Amino acid sequence: MKTLLRNCIYQGKNVYRDMGFLFWGLIYPIILVSFFYIAFSGISNIGLEDIDIGMERENPISAILETIDMVNIVEVPRKDANRNLAEGNIDGFIDEDLNILVNDSGINQTMIKGIVEQIKQMNSLNRPMENYDFEANYIADRDQEANGILVIFYSLIGMVSTYSVFAGIETVSLAQGNLTNIGARLNITPLKKKDFLFAGIIVALAFNLLANGLLLLFIEFVLKMNLLREARYSLALIILGNIFGVSLGIFIGASNKQSIGVKTMFAIASTLFLSFLSGLMSPDIKIILDKNLPILGRINPLAIIGNSLYRVNLLGNTKDVGVGMALLTLYSIILIFGAYMFLRRRNYDSI
Amino acid sequence: MTVYKYFMKVALKHKFIILGYSTLFLLVAIINGTIAGTEELQFVETDLNIGIIDNMDSELSRGLVGYLEENNNIEDIIEDEGYIREQIFLQALDGAIIIPRDFDEKVINKEEAIELYKDDRRIGAYYLEQQVEKYLIFANATYEDNTFDMDSLKSALNKKANIELIETKKGLKNSRMDIWFKNYYNYTSYIIIAVYIAVIGMVMIEFRDKRLEDRMRISSKKNFSLNREIYLGQVSLGIGITSIFILGSLVLKGRYIGEVEFSKYMINIAVFSFAILCFTFLINNLTRSRFTINGISTVVSLGTSFISGVLVPQEFLGERALSIAKFFPTYYFVSINERSIGSFGDIRYELLMQMMFGIVFLLMGLYFARPRLRA
Repeated sequence: MKTLLRNCIYQGKNVYRDMGFLFWGLIYPIILVSFFYIAFSGISNIGLEDIDIGMERENPISAILETIDMVNIVEVPRKDANRNLAEGNIDGFIDEDLNILVNDSGINQTMIKGIVEQIKQMNSLNRPMENYDFEANYIADRDQEANGILVIFYSLIGMVSTYSVFAGIETVSLAQGNLTNIGARLNITPLKKKDFLFAGIIVALAFNLLANGLLLLFIEFVLKMNLLREARYSLALIILGNIFGVSLGIFIGASNKQSIGVKTMFAIASTLFLSFLSGLMSPDIKIILDKNLPILGRINPLAIIGNSLYRVNLLGNTKDVGVGMALLTLYSIILIFGAYMFLRRRNYDSI
Repeated sequence: MTVYKYFMKVALKHKFIILGYSTLFLLVAIINGTIAGTEELQFVETDLNIGIIDNMDSELSRGLVGYLEENNNIEDIIEDEGYIREQIFLQALDGAIIIPRDFDEKVINKEEAIELYKDDRRIGAYYLEQQVEKYLIFANATYEDNTFDMDSLKSALNKKANIELIETKKGLKNSRMDIWFKNYYNYTSYIIIAVYIAVIGMVMIEFRDKRLEDRMRISSKKNFSLNREIYLGQVSLGIGITSIFILGSLVLKGRYIGEVEFSKYMINIAVFSFAILCFTFLINNLTRSRFTINGISTVVSLGTSFISGVLVPQEFLGERALSIAKFFPTYYFVSINERSIGSFGDIRYELLMQMMFGIVFLLMGLYFARPRLRA
């Protein structure tokens, strides 16, 4: 216990003084989330806006259109219609014969077409006016806020929870005699390598969880975004993400003889790529993959964390969270076991 | 040219960074190409993505499904509230409709006859609600003698409005390909920044190694000649990296270059590459830390891409984001790509701004290099 504590203190000091950890673990996520916030705050704050329809004063359908909530009628003479459309003053222009002029294909123009069609179709249906009951409510509204862009933030939290990968690489490299001087010295002492590694894991988890906590506080209190509403599951997922990260780091560190720089680059590339697949750079990519290759979203560890986080926090859906957690645990066990296979009974003839 | 030769040799050691980023880039470019919007010469109705579960399967409910299917994409969904809500949340669906078993009866009694999952704040969802309501109001208007007049209903719903695009839209050559090239070259800015800083930075760290520098200093090679070969190496590497991405666009969509403003993209990427090469020069004179260079490479490339309109179109970005973005060449690079030009005079301001940034970075780099040269 005493040895473990001593190892934890020394490795803790080592990580604390490491500029790499300070940047990748602490500063980088905060910079990234700030960029996301700046870029996406305009997209997520949406609301219904009126559709501007241009028409001449004497157009007979203006009385009908005035009764529609979202329509704003703009009086435009026919000869000025093109200019107004080109300048974006109106979304569409309806003439006396119910022909429509537009400058673009979009939802507003489609809505205008739908309104005109409804008028034409009512004429075509040729039923007495009293047959139409516009007051009847046929629809049971189930409102669900759509905000796919938030996937990016959850994906980011998922990614940084695995950033214990860097401390994992560092720890296992320090324990290898052929990679670092400390490793060489450690290998000729009676100190147990497993104590050193175990202390490294504890330190990696502690520091990365601390960094994650700071990021979450930054999101909550500086950006004022309430992303984690369900603490119990969220915390469990972030902790499992950390355990997965450190396991991945130990595996990357133990499985090859490349320098720490190359291993770090590999860790960055792999976590970034897995995050990209889980929607870090665009929710559309996640949607396309979910549609065409749904299995990927279920087995990608970063997608498991990101998806589960938005499900439990925004949708109140805890259905598949247990499966995801079990899978993350399984990945961690496999990676640790793989690393153990690489590290066990390693001897050096000359270092 | 020994220094130049070794510069390129060391650069090749970092080929995995170039390959890694290039692969990621091509993946993004291909995926983005598949989801890029299409701009047509005729009006194209916006189709909504709708999920429908029809538990009734009557003539009336099938009619509703058929009517919605005419102008929208009907997606396969499962009757699971959590799943449906998630699809709406992700915006994979504009709305989801569940038709109950007693649908016909509820329509006749003018009761709530369907469940509609949607985001009330979205115009697409509002339009979907309008379409469903219209169908049901019309259906009930035809209800006589315990039956709906489905033939009249169908015939009336086939009545379409006449809609035309005004003339200004018809001068474009190939809008669809222009969008592809625009997106592709916008993305190159991200990758060029990341790869230039990472690769050239890594090579320069090796060249700035204290022991190597000391050996170079006592060699017969003149300082001027040494620096010239290093800078030549950086320029060659820059040209090589940029060429990969230009070649990528030619391989993927080369047959369309006559239909888009290809020369605009070429000049723009050349000027942008110059600006970023100068930025890399500045970074290399500011730090020798591998971690710092990796960090700057990732943060600057990703950060500027987010706030300059690479990953999110400039029209969706807030004023604040765009104001910050104007302090880096990416903003001007993207602005040129986004614009259709009559002549190069139209983009001279943006090109000039990128050149100016390049020159400022270069001068700053030279300033920070002075103490090292004196040492």
